[in-house]
Amino acid sequence: MTAIGAGMAMLTALGAGLGMGFATAKAVDAVARQPEASGKINAILLLGCALAESTAIYAFVIALILAAK
Amino acid sequence: MVKTKTVTIIELAVSAAVFAAGLVMTVAAKSAIRQHGENKKRKRRSRLSLALTVMAAWFFIGTLIAAYSGKTKGMEVEFSLFSERVELFGVTFARTSVLMWILTAIILLLCLIFRLFLFPRFDPDHPKGFQNIMELAVEAMDRFTCGTVGEYGEQLSPYMFSLGVFMIASAFSELFGQRPPTSDLVVTLSMGLITFVLINYYGLRKKGLGGRIKALSNPTPIILPMKILSDVAIPISLACRLFGNMIGGMIVMDLLKSVLGGYAAGIPAVAGLYFNLFHPIIQAYIFIILSLTFINEAIE
Repeated sequence: MTAIGAGMAMLTALGAGLGMGFATAKAVDAVARQPEASGKINAILLLGCALAESTAIYAFVIALILAAK
Repeated sequence: MVKTKTVTIIELAVSAAVFAAGLVMTVAAKSAIRQHGENKKRKRRSRLSLALTVMAAWFFIGTLIAAYSGKTKGMEVEFSLFSERVELFGVTFARTSVLMWILTAIILLLCLIFRLFLFPRFDPDHPKGFQNIMELAVEAMDRFTCGTVGEYGEQLSPYMFSLGVFMIASAFSELFGQRPPTSDLVVTLSMGLITFVLINYYGLRKKGLGGRIKALSNPTPIILPMKILSDVAIPISLACRLFGNMIGGMIVMDLLKSVLGGYAAGIPAVAGLYFNLFHPIIQAYIFIILSLTFINEAIE
């Protein structure tokens, strides 16, 4: 049962993946429009991806707490 | 499934024969290229036989290791959220803490060696070699922190640099078969708490208590508790992010090693390039830039 719960907790990764995908798509748009600003865009994209990823990481930690005995 | 002795011996013999054949074919193809010049067919034959040789060598080594250590495919991966304890001088410590002390001692020793033996020999006017690398790294960090937090950048730069060095060193400790200290929630939480202290220290120093409370209740005083709550959540979120990323990488590497069993000769190194080198550097960067952003938020 706890294994199923851990798997369900990891459904959060869906949202994080979508968010990171949207952010990357917008970043690609921005770089295509202004290639000279790619350094700044890269830094912001990394920060945003880290923040979007954090929800998935919380879910992962919860899944680990559920799965590890 | 346990392999019998005969199967192992047959595997060893076949792979050795293939390896020898591949070697002979490679040498023949190379000498053919040298004698008759390159063309597409000879080049392809040379490349194919080289690939065959490498595959046979990998299979031979893997079979040998698997037979020697008795480990075949499908071992179980065991992991726990908190690291195991070791006893030192009658007190039990977490293994990761002990490893952290060792890493800190190594880094401090390297610092002392650099300071005492390398830095006096540096020429400020004509930098070369190692001096260039050090100056590049320190200047990049200075520029980075000053660009993010402005006036306090010069004070924060050494701490952030040592934080990054520690995180990358602890990720490298996984290459020696140890559990990295950053994959322990206690270590990452203490790092997050240091960031929390820094945020409040610089916020109080810049604005004073009244100014800080005023900044926290910026649009309306009603959201003051929520702002305080989100401030308290910062170290927890930083700690969980680093911990989750590091333990995730560790579990993936463990799974890979256990699936390959004795055949894990050379293949985890390729994955380790991502999980032990690129990923920790990105995570260290993110930890540092998030800390600096939160500090900047508190002082502006």
